[in-house]
Amino acid sequence: MAEQKSDTAHLYDGKTIRSSAPSRKKAAGKMKGSSEIPKDAIPEVHVPSVIESFFGGPIVTRTKFLPPDRVVQTLQMSAAIILTLLCIVTFTVTPVSGTAWFWLSDLMEIPILGVAIHLLLIGIGFIGGMYGVFQRDQRAILISYVVLILVTIRFAGSKVEFGIDLLPDGEISQKLLLISYALFLVMYIEITSGIIRFSMLDKSIRTGEVYVMNVKKITSQYYRSLLITPIVAGLVALVTLMINLIIPSIVGLLGSDAAADRLAESVELTSVYGVALGTAVVFMIVASAFAVNLPVRLAQMRENGSK
Amino acid sequence: MAWSRKSAMFASLAIALYLLGLVLRNQQLVTVAVVLLSFLTWAAFRTTNADVSSSGRRMDEEVNSGGVALQNLVALRRLSSARVFEDGEVDVSIRIQNKSNLSKVLEVRDRVPEVMRIKKGANYVLMELGPQRETEIAYTIEAPLRGFYTIGPVCIRIQDTFGLFHNEREIHLYDDFLVFPKMEDIKDALIKSRVPKIFTGAVNIRNPGEGSNFYNLREYVPGDAMKKVNWKATARSGGKLMVNEFERDAVSDIILLVDSRSVSETGPVSRNSLVYSTRAAASLAQYFLSRRDSVGLVVYGDEIVSVDRDTGKKQLYVILTKLAGAMAKGNTPLKVVTNRIMPHINRGSPIIILSPLEDDPTIIEAVRDLRSRNFDVTILSPSSLQFEFDARRLDRTGYELLKTERDILMSELRGLGANVMDWEPDMLLNTALSGARGF
Repeated sequence: MAEQKSDTAHLYDGKTIRSSAPSRKKAAGKMKGSSEIPKDAIPEVHVPSVIESFFGGPIVTRTKFLPPDRVVQTLQMSAAIILTLLCIVTFTVTPVSGTAWFWLSDLMEIPILGVAIHLLLIGIGFIGGMYGVFQRDQRAILISYVVLILVTIRFAGSKVEFGIDLLPDGEISQKLLLISYALFLVMYIEITSGIIRFSMLDKSIRTGEVYVMNVKKITSQYYRSLLITPIVAGLVALVTLMINLIIPSIVGLLGSDAAADRLAESVELTSVYGVALGTAVVFMIVASAFAVNLPVRLAQMRENGSK
Repeated sequence: MAWSRKSAMFASLAIALYLLGLVLRNQQLVTVAVVLLSFLTWAAFRTTNADVSSSGRRMDEEVNSGGVALQNLVALRRLSSARVFEDGEVDVSIRIQNKSNLSKVLEVRDRVPEVMRIKKGANYVLMELGPQRETEIAYTIEAPLRGFYTIGPVCIRIQDTFGLFHNEREIHLYDDFLVFPKMEDIKDALIKSRVPKIFTGAVNIRNPGEGSNFYNLREYVPGDAMKKVNWKATARSGGKLMVNEFERDAVSDIILLVDSRSVSETGPVSRNSLVYSTRAAASLAQYFLSRRDSVGLVVYGDEIVSVDRDTGKKQLYVILTKLAGAMAKGNTPLKVVTNRIMPHINRGSPIIILSPLEDDPTIIEAVRDLRSRNFDVTILSPSSLQFEFDARRLDRTGYELLKTERDILMSELRGLGANVMDWEPDMLLNTALSGARGF
């Protein structure tokens, strides 16, 4: 006996009942049976490391740069020259004696080892710095900073000692050499950071993320600052280091020559503690200028001067 | 004045070297520290010069500028248009004036909504602006998604040349603009469809009947009234039930119901049910209004927003504005909406529901009510299921299961006599509508 049809079934005979477009069924059929989450569905989450959390971001960014433009090339050349000078001056002003490796070589009774390590450190700073500057590799640059600072750390007496005996003995010339060393180091740090900054800016310009008006004026301002700021910083540092001459001369001006002479001969004042005193005096003056809002007042005067 | 990470690191290094130098009695270290501190101090001195006092106005308000004479930096913005359609472009120009006597290096960023794309120019500009000078920044943005948007504020940053310190200010200058949903020309689609005129007939008749002019014959589908069956034609067709189709000779008010419940935003931002529904509603409204029909709109989500029926171009813009502002929120059931609107619309009026048909147990009941009162119900349903599946957020098993549920629901709705269109993501509205009367 034929199967009993439901009373409305005949209405659908010969008809195609389509509940959805065939394409979807086809698409569904083509999908893989696996229920695993596709890789592209998981967002990339970067969990910052302890160091990154401490500094508020990565110390060195892993940015890929475009080929250097003219400004970056100029800065690279400047950085290379300054790094060379810095390494020479570092070698000049930092004796091996008093360093940790000097102590080690003394302990091992191989005196040449201390000198070798000392030179090796300067060499690493130089090569790492050069590589970092031209490859724009921030890690290499950071290593060169650390090494070139590390090489100056020594347990020394208060008296200034240099690595080469041929250097002048005069106090002022010694201090000028020290300042030039410090300036080269600071300028090296600044210019290398400028290389990264301008490379990033150049990339942003070329990808259309940022538009720069009057590029020449902006870069020329930067170059000008690179000249002016070290001079100012050098002068301030000179005043600070010369405090052992400035204080006695002030005391002398006030009329007490004996006290001035005693001060001038004071070991403390000529030592590192004299420099500390100088720093305290100079930066107290600077701090009081900030406290009375002097920079802003000067700026307001300049801004509204000719109105 | 804010410190940058670089200046903070410089300062930390200087202090560390200074203290280390004192402890080790090492003049080299102390000297480096002093130079670093001097370097920072000088940069800080220079940065405080870059004090920003600023104001912002729209360019149209520029005439009465007496109050801003003392301001040093002024920003003025102009938009080419305050209303665009999706994928349309807006030209923005900002004029920056330096009213001080000092030259300034400025970073200017005009904040643009995240979904906007910069098509031409840049909204982030680094510039050197001379004393008493002004400059103009121009850029074009493309608006890919409907909505109410605001451009602004203008962020201005001045920093020293070494990037050690900076001053930053926001100029509270805002400009609003509206992005209407994109519209498709559906005229051709309706002409080419099997039944060329869905709602044809004389205009300006607000109380239409079923229609009397014979149009053609077609096969019977469940839901057709038995009185429509053409028995002679059925006899001739060899057993297939044939029904008469009539042209509508009058047009009632057309009501568009747009589902903007939170479920309607399931899927990618630019490809979800709500985006498709609003585009379809805009296209349909334009089409019917161009025929001088009367169109009303109801958008339901967390609340029921309605635009009363009216005709004309003004009505189109009113509808477009409501559609532009439709937000995916809430979960108002369709039954609540139909209960609310039914007393206010004429019987037999075509009602077009644009909904993903998800997460609402009252759909069948609501459609049954509408059909029982002789409303002509058309449901255009963008499948959020499909959006999710395409975006690979749904595995195959889940998709198949949910699809089956959806198909069953659609079959039930068709059984009630509603025209249900399953709108797939890649299908143009034209194509979806072409199949409108395909069953």
